[in-house]
Parts: sequence; structure tokens; C-alpha cells
Amino acid sequence: MIDRKETERYLGYMKVRPDAQIDARIDACIAQIEKTMDCRSVKRYEPMTIEDETIRIADMEIHSQSLLRNLKDCTSVCLFAATIGPEIDRLIRRAEIVSMTDAAIYQAAGAAAIESYVDQVNQTIIAEADGYCRPRFSCGYGDFDLHHQRDFARLLNLPKTIGVTLTDTLLMQPSKSVTALVGISPKPSHCILQGCEACSRTDCTYRR
Amino acid sequence: MKSLRSRLGKEWLFCDGGTGTSLQALGLAGGELPERWNQTHPDRIRALHEDYLKAGCDIINTNTFGLNTLKFPGEVESLTAAAVHLAQEAKERTGREDAYIALDIGPTGKLLKPMGDLDFEEAVALFAETIRAGAQAGADLVLIETMSDSYESKAAVLAAKENCSLPVLITNIYNENGKLMTGGTPETVVAMLEGLGVDAVGVNCGFGPQEMIPIVKRLTACASVPVIVNPNAGLPKQIKGRTVYDLGAEDFAQTMVDIAKLGVQVVGGCCGTTPDYIKRARELVLKHVPFRPIEPKHRAVICSGSQLAEIGPKPLLIGERINPTGKKRLKQALREHDLNYILQQGLAQEEAGADVLDVNIGLPELDEPAMMAEVTTALQSVTTLPLQLDSSDPEALERGMRLYNGKPMINSVNGKAESMAAVFPLIKKYGGVCVGLALDENGIPDSADGRIAIAKKIYAKAAEYGIAPEDIVIDGLAMTVSSDSRSALITLETIRRVRDELQGHSILGVSNISFGLPQRQIINAHFLTLAMQDGLSCAIMNPNNAEMMKSVRAYMALMDLDENCLQYIQAYSEQETAPPVQTKTAYTLSQCIQKGLAEQAAEATRSKLATTDGLTLINEEMIPALDLVGKGFEKGTIFLPQLLMAAEAAKAAFAVIKESMAGQPRETKGKVILATVKGDIHDIGKNIVKVMLENYGYEVIDLGKDVPPETIVQTAVDQQIKLVGLSALMTTTVVSMEETIKMLHTVKPDTKVVVGGAVLTEEYAEMIHADAYAKDAMATVRYADQVFGADN
Repeated sequence: MIDRKETERYLGYMKVRPDAQIDARIDACIAQIEKTMDCRSVKRYEPMTIEDETIRIADMEIHSQSLLRNLKDCTSVCLFAATIGPEIDRLIRRAEIVSMTDAAIYQAAGAAAIESYVDQVNQTIIAEADGYCRPRFSCGYGDFDLHHQRDFARLLNLPKTIGVTLTDTLLMQPSKSVTALVGISPKPSHCILQGCEACSRTDCTYRR
Repeated sequence: MKSLRSRLGKEWLFCDGGTGTSLQALGLAGGELPERWNQTHPDRIRALHEDYLKAGCDIINTNTFGLNTLKFPGEVESLTAAAVHLAQEAKERTGREDAYIALDIGPTGKLLKPMGDLDFEEAVALFAETIRAGAQAGADLVLIETMSDSYESKAAVLAAKENCSLPVLITNIYNENGKLMTGGTPETVVAMLEGLGVDAVGVNCGFGPQEMIPIVKRLTACASVPVIVNPNAGLPKQIKGRTVYDLGAEDFAQTMVDIAKLGVQVVGGCCGTTPDYIKRARELVLKHVPFRPIEPKHRAVICSGSQLAEIGPKPLLIGERINPTGKKRLKQALREHDLNYILQQGLAQEEAGADVLDVNIGLPELDEPAMMAEVTTALQSVTTLPLQLDSSDPEALERGMRLYNGKPMINSVNGKAESMAAVFPLIKKYGGVCVGLALDENGIPDSADGRIAIAKKIYAKAAEYGIAPEDIVIDGLAMTVSSDSRSALITLETIRRVRDELQGHSILGVSNISFGLPQRQIINAHFLTLAMQDGLSCAIMNPNNAEMMKSVRAYMALMDLDENCLQYIQAYSEQETAPPVQTKTAYTLSQCIQKGLAEQAAEATRSKLATTDGLTLINEEMIPALDLVGKGFEKGTIFLPQLLMAAEAAKAAFAVIKESMAGQPRETKGKVILATVKGDIHDIGKNIVKVMLENYGYEVIDLGKDVPPETIVQTAVDQQIKLVGLSALMTTTVVSMEETIKMLHTVKPDTKVVVGGAVLTEEYAEMIHADAYAKDAMATVRYADQVFGADN
């Protein structure tokens, strides 16, 4: 389930394919991750309101123009978090000692792995939603302040439910973990930007 | 009132059920912290305790699950005391003076270093504060629960043991694979916790009773202390935004009967269970299940946080390579604080088939306790093999044992009174299997009789400290046959008699037997076979030694210790068919580097060195090759993996040259500090930069990750550093980057700072006053060339 193409993109290959030697190493690393990853997710549905540009979800109060745009016309949200588990971090650490090449590949393949797992969780939310889902939105996107990471951790009880903890600086551990919310609306929405197109940072190396 | 210790494990005891879920039912709001209610709604908390006491619970938990300084700074003492007093009042009001008040301790919600950012000793201190307050207020026991990490469990247990004399009970939360979130299994968790001297172990939360059965079976199969089972009321479901559990009181109670029959001693409930659940479960268990005490298992085991190693019947291979005796390169690594080299030794031995890694880092000029702490922590972050902590310095042993996530093997104690008095208290406190050398004040006996007598003395002394015989392995002392031809016979007789007369386990530093002889592996391999035949339980040896590994694998296959000879076949089937490896390479050194062929690059370097000197090779072949690759990367025709493979090939070549120039340090272009800033725990980017800088001739002082600004500035001042490279991953950690830069520019204005990392951009770098922004590893190399080139 790890997306090969995404792995290569994270490694910097945009239009070219890696040579056979690197290809084989990517295969080996992906196989190793697939063997050790432990995918877990947790979700929670909450009603939401918007009042004077303040978004209220459970006991969260969010001030964010970008999230306001994303959640326009929404009446509820699904808060969720997903991780591929702590072993990926050990794989990267071990590789750093023996081969930085493998470490870089694990890093890229791990990023691709969590991304496709999150897509999968997102799909189940779309399938079971009573309404139209908006593209998922995470803390740190646009002006959606990163400190809400603590709210996600608390509301979803992340250490206990899926083993994700936060550092004081709001880094998630295991590193290959994602929190996000999906807005649910009775109205469909057209022209929704997602992925790189929704991001305001135009000078990113990985921009598609 | 009878003491808890006089009843625990001798009769049925019942814990209470859910607290958090019960409080929610009583109106606790989503974001509200339950422990606050000890002050704001004391009546409701007391009423809940009363209901549980009336239901027949023998142990009630105080409302202190998340009560620590992180959440309640400055209020821990008062809130904890309030919680204990509410439980006391409930006892008085219900006339249940026979019940016990458990000071409830839950996880911090933080992950411990090195994977997370909570220091082990800080975690101990956090728990200690609540435990002191609870014990002072009159709690009868400490109940540590819902722990999903074995390392944090250890911190909590140590805090309890060091701050009160109350019984300590602990239950962990397992997932459907039968593991803790961080990988621990029932067997490893029990081994570690029993080593730490807990009064009971168990499982709580996560599942309903039915799903818990496989874990309970494993717990009762390995535990020697009473087992506690506190399940949820089934599995959680979300209905209209509320979490409800799918099992009613009657179904819960019925299944608890099945669980009670598995040989557990304490039962209760967790999330979703209420006094009704416990009342019914208690009635049914008392009616239908006769109480059975747990049986002692006498398991001789050590473990890491997630991997168990059993001593006997299979010989355990203990890798001896992390020991500086007679190893120049390791000594150098220790002196240069080159942890990477030490970790490489560990991983290589794991790859070669070691079951356990010996860790001896003693050098006269080193701070051994500090180094032991550092190496133990670093090793357990990369390998799941159990460790053998090896030192003659009890302080170094203690530092390692404290920070060790698991139950270690300890090398060693001997028959001298002084040695046993120093080491046995540590084994008693932290847990561990201890190597006992069969020597004492009178030296090494030259007969098996003498060595067995000392072994007996060691067992007897250990027993006085309450250390079980299975936690001792006797070293029969392998001494070279070159100086005394009887010595192998004496050693073999000793280990045979340890097995037959003392029913004990043995260990040997195998290769000592051949000291002073040529072709030592011949003697070593045969001696090892003889020793295993005579009952050797643990062999300290070099797993990279092919001859000795042949002995081990053949012995296992012949003695029915290798099912279907699988290990043997796996190790040797390919060697038969594979043609001899062609080591001569057709490529030039430059080509090897460009293609990223590390082994061939080393080979090519070796053959070139016959005719060319190292420096010429570096300047005329290696640097130009690296530069070609680097330029390709900058142009976008070569990508990160190839760049790194080339770097690794060059590194392999450098290593060969370095060896050939032994003694003469390689000239470097300059010293650069690299660090991932405070608060940031991901350092792969920094490590990539390090590899590149080293290849381009820079000496890198790698300060690691989560580095405080003060450390960076101090190092820059002490070592007169001209360039510092800082990495940060998040906007939240760029703040510490900015602080570091500011401090550096004030204290040492001539030092340049180059920054990089996921969130950084040219503008961002400028904003925080960095001297340069590097978008990747090559850009850092170029900037370093600029900084140092300006001097030349």
C-alpha cells in the first residue's frame, strides 16, 4: 500500500526514474516498512459552529481564515488521527548508523506510507459521512495554529488510543503520524483545492 | 485492619471499576480535568467511592489518574491529599474499614527520551511528587495503571519504591497484538516489573474481558507475583458523540468468572464499568471460582523493552565486541565520543546472530558512569536485543541499570564480600540476572571443587538479599590452556557441576581459553562445543567469528535446539552453491564512488595504496569524483539516494586510507558544529549534512538533537568554531534556532551560522538572522567552503 511514485518524489525524483541499483534498495526498504508498520487510527465526530469568524468544535475555539474557508457551510466535523507506528522511527535510526542512503529512503517511504494510510482513513470517513466532506485539514496548514495539536491529542486521547504523543514543541511521536479534521456539510462544494494546490507555500521543494 | 500484603495473593481481592467514565456520567464535561473534582465536587467523588465500597470492592482507586505537575503545577500535593481524604471518608461512612485505598497513578501522556522528549529522571520526579503526597495523606498502596510503555512503567515503579514503602501494584494496557504501544509483551513486562520488585502485575483497559483472555493466559503463565485483571465493559462505540461500552453488567460478570478461572488473584473493572458490574462479578467469582494462588515460575530471563531472552536450554550468545580490551579502534571511538561506531558494533553483532550485547565501556581516562548511561540509552534506541551491562564500577552499573528499559544481565559480581555487598543491592533494586565469577579474596581456585564452593557462597549471599537463584549465572572462568594444560578441564567440570549439583546456569568468556596460541579460533570453536555439551548456558563471544558460529549452529541442530535445522540451513545453504565472491573490481576508484559501490571503493583504494599515497588518492581521485556527483545533484541530474551512496562509498575509501595512515591525523579543512536545535527530536537532515561535510574534509562536531543553545555556544567558544550548522523541523522549534543564533552572535560574533530544515526558507533564515540558508546538504558544503576558503 506504499505509493512508489510518492516515495520517489520525496526523494527528489520528479520526472526521472531511479536507476536499477537504487530501485532495488527502495523495494527492500518498502518491504521492510510494510512488514513492521502498525497502522492505527482514531476518529470522533463533533458538531461545529461558526460565529464571528470563531470556529467552535467540542471545547476548541479556532481562529483561522484558511480553516474558515475550508469549513464554509459545514455543520459537523470528523476529528481524526492516524499513525503507522513507532517501528518506522527505529528503522530510520538503525539505517542512519549503517547507511544514510537507506535512512533517506526509509524516511521517504515512511512519509508515503502514512500519507496513503491517511487517505484510506479519509475515504472511510467520506463513505460513512452523512453529508458532503471537505478536504482534510491539519494544524499548521495556512493559519490553522499548530498549538491546536494539543486539542487533537486531548480530544482523541492519542497516547492511549493510538500511541501518539506530543513533545513540548508539538512534534508528534511516532514521527509518521497525522492529525486532521474533515468538515461535513449538507451542501456540496465545488472548486475545492487540496494537496499542494491548497498550500500557500509556493517555494517548497516538493511542490507538485 | 489486616495489611494488604498479608492478603494479596492469598485470597480473592476486588478492585473498583471505571472512574473517568463514571464521572462523565455524573456530568464531567469534555475538556474538564477529572482530578479537579476532588476540590469542586468532593461529594460526587466520595459518593462514587461509597458505591464501589458497598459493591464489595476491597481496593478503591483515588481520583488521581492524571494528577501530576504537568497538568496541575503547584497543586499536586493539595489535590492528591484531597483525593485520599475523600476515599478515607467513604470508608468511614460505609463502615468498610477493611478496604484499601490505592493511590492511582496513570501515564504522563509524554514519551520518554530518546524517542520522545521527557527525560527518564524527570518522569521519575513527576511520579515521585504525587506518590509522596499520596503516601503522606494515608494511601494504603500505589496502583500504577493503563501504562502503554514499559519504560514509563519503570519510571513510575522506581518513583514508588524510592518514595514510600507501600505495596506497588501495576497494570498495563495491551493492544490486540498482545503488545504495549511501544512494543512490550506480557513476558518482557513481567520480567522487568518483577525484577523491580512490584507486588502484583496485570492488565487493564483497552478491551473487554473476552478480548483480554489471551493476554491474561500469557500473564498467568509467566508471572510469579499475583495477577490483576481490570477490563473495560466491552468495546467502546460512539453513539451520538458519546462513548458507550457494549457489555452489560451480567455479561461482564459472566466473563469475569472465566477470567478468574485462568488463575488470576485480583479482579475489577475499568472504563465503562460501574459498581453494579463489580458487585455482580464479585458475587459470581466468589460463588463459582475457588481461589488459587499464583505459582512461582523460576524463570531465568532477561529482556529489553520488547524482547525476551531465556537462559537455557539453548545457549545464549552474548556479543563481546563492545569492550575496549585489546581493541584500538573502539578505544579511539570511546575517547572521541564516537557513539556511531559503538552502535555499528552493536548492529553488526545483532546481524551476525548475537542474542544479547555485552556493554563494557571502561577506559581509565573516561567518566565511566556517564558513558555507560549514554551508551545504554543509545543502544536501546536502535536495537531490541537485551543488554549485558559489564563494569567493575558499581556506580557505572547503577547508572546503566537505572536507564535500562528491561531486565538486564549484569557482569559481574564475584565471591569477595566487598563485591557482593556492592552489586547485590543493585540487583535487588533494579532487577537483573547477575554473573557470579567463581573467584574470591583468595584468587581463582585451581580446582572445580574450589570454584563450586565459591559458586555456593554466591548463591547463598544472593539469597540473603532476596535474589532468586535463577537470577544468578556462574562464570566458570575460562583460562588459557597455553599456561596450564588442565585449565579447560577444570572449567568444563565447573560448569557441568553448576548444572548438575547446583541446578544453576553458567557463562564463560569463551575465547580466553586460547590466549597465547596460534589459530585461536580452532581451539575456541572446539572448546565452545565441549562447553555447550557440558551445559554452558551463556557464551560471551564474537558472533562475527565464523568458526565459533559453526560450533553453535551445529550444536543446536544436533541437540534438537534448532527446529527442523532451520537456523542451520538458513546460515549455510547458500554458501554451498554460491561461487567464491569476486573481490577484484573492474572499476576505478573514481567510478566506484560515482556509482556508490562502497565495498569496491574500499577494495580499489586498498590496491591503489600499494602504489599511490593516501593524500594523492584523496585529492586526485576521490574529491574530483565526489565533486562530479555533487555538481550533478545541484544541477538536478543526480538525486539524493545517489548522492548519499557516493558519499558512503567515499567514506569506505576514506576508512581504508585512514587505517593506512594510522597515527597521522588526516588534515581537515576545519571544524564545524552540527546540531538539531532544542525541542527538535528528528535529525535525519542534520545527519545527511554530516556525512557530506565529512566527505568534503571537514571535521564535524555532532552535538546531536534537542541541543540547548548554551551547549552549542559553549562548544563553539571552547573549540574556537567558525561555522555552526543548525537544523529545525517545525515552526515551534525555529524559535530555539533563533535564540541559539542570537546567543552565538552575542558571545562569539565571528562564528557564522548556516541553517536548514523542513520549514525554513531563505526569507525565514534572514528573519532569524542566520548568516546563510542551505536548502540541502550540498548547499551546506558549498557554504562551508566559502567560510573556510576565505581564510586560505
